[in-house]
Amino acid sequence: MAETTHKEAAHEDHGIGRYVLIWGILLAFTLLTVFTGRMDLGAANIFIALAIATTKATLVVLFFMHLWDTGGVNRLVFVVSVLFAIVLILGVFGDLTARYAPTLPNGGPLPPHSAAGAAEAVEHGMPPIPGH
Amino acid sequence: MAQSNDVSADGAKYPAVHYMNADAGIKSWFLTLDHKRIALMYLVLTTLAFIVGGLFAMALRIEHLTPDRTIMGANTYNRMFTLHGVVMIFLFMIPAVPGVFGNFLLPLMLGAKDVAFPRLNLLSVYVYAAGAALALYGMASGGADAGWTFYVPYSLSTPAALAPVLFGIFILGFSSILTGLNFIVTVHTLRAPGMTWMKMPLFVWAIYATSIIQVLATPVIGLTAVLVGIERIFGFGFFDPSRGGDPVMFQHMFWFYSHPAVYIMVLPTMGVISELVTGTARKNMFGYKAIALSSLGIAFVGFFAWGHHMFVSGQSALDAGSFAFISMLVGVFTAIKVFNWVGTMYRGSIAIRTPLIYICGFLFFIVFGGMTGIALATVSLDIHWHDTYFVVAHFHFIMVGAVIMGWLGAIHFWFPKMFGRMYHEGWGMVSAAFIVLGFNATFIPQFLLGNAGQPRRYYMYDERYWALNVASTAGSTLLAFGVLMILIYLGYALKNGAIAGDNPWDLAGLEWKTTSPPPKENFETPPTAEEDPYTYQKKGETVEHVVI
Amino acid sequence: MSSSKAEPAGGHGHGHALPWYQAHHFDSMEVQNHAVRLGMWLFLGTEVLLFAGLFLGYTVYRWLYHQSFHEASRLLSLPLGTINTIILITSSFTVALGYHAIKVGKQKACVGYLAFTIACAGAFLVIKFFEYKHKFEVGELPGRFFTAYHDFSPLGAKGANLYYAIYFLATGLHAFHVIVGASILAWLMVRVHKGKYGPHHYVPVELGALYWHLVDLVWIFLFPLLYLI
Repeated sequence: MAETTHKEAAHEDHGIGRYVLIWGILLAFTLLTVFTGRMDLGAANIFIALAIATTKATLVVLFFMHLWDTGGVNRLVFVVSVLFAIVLILGVFGDLTARYAPTLPNGGPLPPHSAAGAAEAVEHGMPPIPGH
Repeated sequence: MAQSNDVSADGAKYPAVHYMNADAGIKSWFLTLDHKRIALMYLVLTTLAFIVGGLFAMALRIEHLTPDRTIMGANTYNRMFTLHGVVMIFLFMIPAVPGVFGNFLLPLMLGAKDVAFPRLNLLSVYVYAAGAALALYGMASGGADAGWTFYVPYSLSTPAALAPVLFGIFILGFSSILTGLNFIVTVHTLRAPGMTWMKMPLFVWAIYATSIIQVLATPVIGLTAVLVGIERIFGFGFFDPSRGGDPVMFQHMFWFYSHPAVYIMVLPTMGVISELVTGTARKNMFGYKAIALSSLGIAFVGFFAWGHHMFVSGQSALDAGSFAFISMLVGVFTAIKVFNWVGTMYRGSIAIRTPLIYICGFLFFIVFGGMTGIALATVSLDIHWHDTYFVVAHFHFIMVGAVIMGWLGAIHFWFPKMFGRMYHEGWGMVSAAFIVLGFNATFIPQFLLGNAGQPRRYYMYDERYWALNVASTAGSTLLAFGVLMILIYLGYALKNGAIAGDNPWDLAGLEWKTTSPPPKENFETPPTAEEDPYTYQKKGETVEHVVI
Repeated sequence: MSSSKAEPAGGHGHGHALPWYQAHHFDSMEVQNHAVRLGMWLFLGTEVLLFAGLFLGYTVYRWLYHQSFHEASRLLSLPLGTINTIILITSSFTVALGYHAIKVGKQKACVGYLAFTIACAGAFLVIKFFEYKHKFEVGELPGRFFTAYHDFSPLGAKGANLYYAIYFLATGLHAFHVIVGASILAWLMVRVHKGKYGPHHYVPVELGALYWHLVDLVWIFLFPLLYLI
């Protein structure tokens, strides 16, 4: 028993260099996301932020959590969990976007903010009752 | 059935030392790590829960003997149906078959000494008890009245004591997760040498698929229940329309768990039926792979069908249509199973024993319950049936009809193994008949009532529904009587039943290759599993005769 | 997740004495280690699904109240959020170093790394405390407690209470996991110090580290979604 774990340790001991490298990359991506996050890139903002976050998360999962070197079924477990989380989010969000607008809170998403639209935006609320 | 109580039919003596007396003292039970003792603890707790939930159901049926007030006021009625649902679903249906039979049988069927994490197993019982206690406390101190589905916004504003029930459900969820996690790891790591995945008993496949659902889906209901609780206490506004929240999002989050939850309830039962069918017909499973993989199929596809509970909620038409279609796909897997079970029984050497009645009842209920499910999945029909007794009858056909058939069938089938004694077959078959007939008498009228328009969860009903309601209540008394009979003769058999011996019915399966009751370590010598799980026929051999 | 799972129940009747950390129902330590790792990954899977509900709430309410979320994120302290992110990423790094240290037998180094990780957790919570305190002071609170209308445009104010509901629920649940994770690491650190683990048996430290990495993973997503965009 001790032998197998010694063997595991000898084969898989890749030293700490890998961790240092990943740490550095994570910090760099953090700075990148801070920099791009507060810029006004319109609709691209969220996609860039999520892409960077996903990259960072993947690095943590693969290298800090060792899914890169080990674990066939462990990988399956993690990937399936993430996939079902995505199903939950996209499935429900998809319903929100496809619904008849008056059934949504506030009659739908708030209009985009603009100086011109600010005044009318204040008025924005439930749609008028038919016949009134 | 008159046997000497000293020896079994094949001359075996009752084992002197077994798992129930291996360690003495109450502490050895409360701190046990033996999966079989933990199974018995679940058996006691879930049976109590079943009785409590059943009493709430009887109260409802008695109230419905007349169209107006019979024995309770409207607010009490709301509490009764809520508590019936909460107790039956969270305290009985979800934990029972995995907790009792999953725990008892999984290691035995795999040839293992215990589950992967015995300590977590013990923890799961205590967590269950804690969650149940909290929920019951909530019921006692004012009760919950928002339905077991606690839809917002009513669940946010009702003065009833919802918070303890919600947090109780959250805690119960942990028990479910721990059990599922334990079983998945057990199946992956503790199979006997030679037992490949395709050599596992089908009950194990069913429990494995159930455990996947438990692990993935339960956290969502836990979070949802806590969010509603927090909103009640702190007014955060997550689901509250008056604060800009979306109440339909609550329904999505609720049903994302609660639809797969019905498969948590039914899949283990289907696994039980697979074992009962092969054992009762003394035939190998007709399509082993089909049954095994369809369990996984149900678990997987069941996650994408939740919106069929929300056809009239304001959900988008796109979602409604998609969910309707996917819900019907689940029926394909169930149908595959039904055909395989029937194919297994065909030309089998069928033993006329109590489990046979439960098998037949199960097949009848799963087919009609399932077909009405497909009917309900048709959006245009559900517009008419939603929130009527048609839906109530449908899910009781599956939940009570199919699941209880499996539960009672399992109790009888493995009673000799668990307790080393035989129950009285005559009483077994009579009470099974009461249950099947009583069940039909209770719920077939409800299909008719629902189709005729009687809404569910309504305290009063129109006079034209009176006769069928009385019929339904009459049926429920038959059902209750059947349950009472079972409690009595099984209780009697615990002490006075004939000695069972290792394998009283000469069945295949590793659990039958050890003593009844099994020893604490399960097997004298750890078994290997070179054989297929069902060895009633040699490969390719057909059974030419039917012996009755 | 904890080595106590491995303690044998009885352990008599075997040809050889099992080490204290090996359970009698597993064929070998290799199988046991595989089992406990799988068990931890399954548990992490449940945590992912738990947080998913809150991320769903974020997605839905961000889409409905885009302006509110946009303005509210600007009101959060970017420096504090960034520092917290760097703290957590570094703590993930040091816990990985701690796991590596005990795997190669460097007990003292492991204790040091775990201690540093726990200190990072503490620093994270302190910063969070100050962030929360500020919000309580200015009324940037969820639901019916929201009073900071003056900090938002009229359009932005509409969904601000929901932003803060998500903010407090998500960061609160996350902070709870930080506390739990740090407690587990502290317990492991004590056991490492006592000499219970080494190259022959280090899986409990590995499992504690896995849990800590999950805490980091959740924050990796929370930070940009709440503070940046």
